[in-house]
Amino acid sequence: MFKYFYVTKNYLAEYFAYRLNFLLWRVRVIVSVLISYFLWSAIYGNRNQIFNYTKNQMLTYIVLLTFINGIVLATQTQRIAEEINQGTLSNFLIRPMDYFAFNLFRDLADKSINTFFAVIEIVLIILLLKPGFIVQSDPIFLILFIFSLFLSVILYFIISILISFIGFWSREYWAPRFIFFIIIAFMAGTYFPLDIVPQPVYSLIEFLPFTYLVFFPLKIYLGNILLSQILKGFLITLFWIFFLYLFARLVWKKGLKIYTAEGK
Amino acid sequence: MNTIKVTGLKKYFRVYKRKEGLIPTINSLFHRKYSEVKAVDGISFSIREGELVGFIGPNGAGKTTTLKCLSGLLYHSSGIVEVLGYIPFERKADFLKKISLVMGQKNQLWWDLPAVESFRLNKEIYELSEDVYRKNLDELTGLLDVGSLINQPVRQLSLGQRMKMELIAALIHHPKVLFLDEPTIGLDIVMQKKMRDFIGNYNKKYKATILLTSHYMADVKELCRRVIIINKGKLIYDGSLESLSQKYSFHKIITVHFYSDAPENKLKNLGEIKLIEGSKAVLKVDKEKAKNVTVQLLEKNKVRDLTVEEPELEDIISFVFEGKSV
Repeated sequence: MFKYFYVTKNYLAEYFAYRLNFLLWRVRVIVSVLISYFLWSAIYGNRNQIFNYTKNQMLTYIVLLTFINGIVLATQTQRIAEEINQGTLSNFLIRPMDYFAFNLFRDLADKSINTFFAVIEIVLIILLLKPGFIVQSDPIFLILFIFSLFLSVILYFIISILISFIGFWSREYWAPRFIFFIIIAFMAGTYFPLDIVPQPVYSLIEFLPFTYLVFFPLKIYLGNILLSQILKGFLITLFWIFFLYLFARLVWKKGLKIYTAEGK
Repeated sequence: MNTIKVTGLKKYFRVYKRKEGLIPTINSLFHRKYSEVKAVDGISFSIREGELVGFIGPNGAGKTTTLKCLSGLLYHSSGIVEVLGYIPFERKADFLKKISLVMGQKNQLWWDLPAVESFRLNKEIYELSEDVYRKNLDELTGLLDVGSLINQPVRQLSLGQRMKMELIAALIHHPKVLFLDEPTIGLDIVMQKKMRDFIGNYNKKYKATILLTSHYMADVKELCRRVIIINKGKLIYDGSLESLSQKYSFHKIITVHFYSDAPENKLKNLGEIKLIEGSKAVLKVDKEKAKNVTVQLLEKNKVRDLTVEEPELEDIISFVFEGKSV
């Protein structure tokens, strides 16, 4: 397994060659969180409770999105489609390494550096804006939160890899990914907590994998969720992970058969 | 023992045909027309351990496709491919640890990092011990004469230096089988020569089996005793380079230096004049007539110097490529 840590190390080193790129990416994340933050601040005004959320819960939710963005949604897997289409995938296929593991460790570079900066930014936001940030102190909820984050990371990784595998069949892999981003924006809870949508809609998207990427772990952190709901969420997440992983492996196998190793 | 065994290898690609114009383009959204390209169309050959074989053919002949099938990148349409007793496409770790593919126009090195970081990664991937890695690296850097360049970001290196680094990265695990796809492309003459020497040495020193494609006949002439020629996906020659030139050279090239100006009128009757320049003339004559022509030239003229040569390998190869006979 150690061999893959070297992948992480090299990709981290590569980041420092493109410092400005990275810096601007962080700016983008912060601005998008700040927009949500001020929007919700304004909506609450002097009220303390909207839907099922207190003002503090809502603002904590928004601030923690930075963190989730870093740990769950930061990925390099979109590069796979490009690698397939340009034939650079060959460089990985020719060496004795598992491409899934390789990607996971490549993502680890992305996630660790983004998370590192996200934590700093959160501290700054809390210090500067002084929201009533909720610190979860119940160890049970904290452990469940960490576990659910772990599942979210795996789930997002598999979904993202699957979307990139479209590259085997089409050169137009950006359109599906774009749709995916929209779905994430709407159904994962990257702008607002999901349970503020009408109940029938929510009970439907509860069974889709997307809610478990962002909304579910944050909800556990905030603690306003029943243990039975948490258990149900874990089961649904595990089902999707299991199912999509098998599917991704199958697609990978099929894709390699028609892979053309182009670009020469 | 055959290291590489290929029987009836076929690789067909399905390509989507695009038409020009707006309406046909919109139409093609609904009805796509595909056509099949027969990149490799039923070739068979086998290569013994330690052989260095030149694999040649014009652009688009199917050389690279064949190499990709042999190294497990492509799933072949039909036929049997066996390398070191493995089926390449299964890409077993044990198989991949024993082979390497170098493409002159592709790179695996990290563009923004020093090459040594890429080597280190390969050390981990191929699971080499620190000792073996050190030994191999020192040897390769010595042979290729790169020294401290391995600590410079790859993007700052010249094409030739980069190619050397690619070779080191590809050979750090000492593969038993090596596929080289135009390793000398774009390099200057001196660098080409160095690269050739290196490949030759590697072959001898490690008894490595090497299949090499190149458009530079000098590479082939110097390195390979045996060549396999393919064209349009089909094998058209497999044998020694020597018998290839004998089989396909129907001419000899005679270069004569006269004491006075070359007598163009007389020469016309002897053979095809390729060049006349002052007192120098180059003639192309049929192989059987070569002896006669030489005698005539020497007897009837004042000749300062005369040489008889086989035609250039390039000429023979292009003759074979055109498929005039087999």
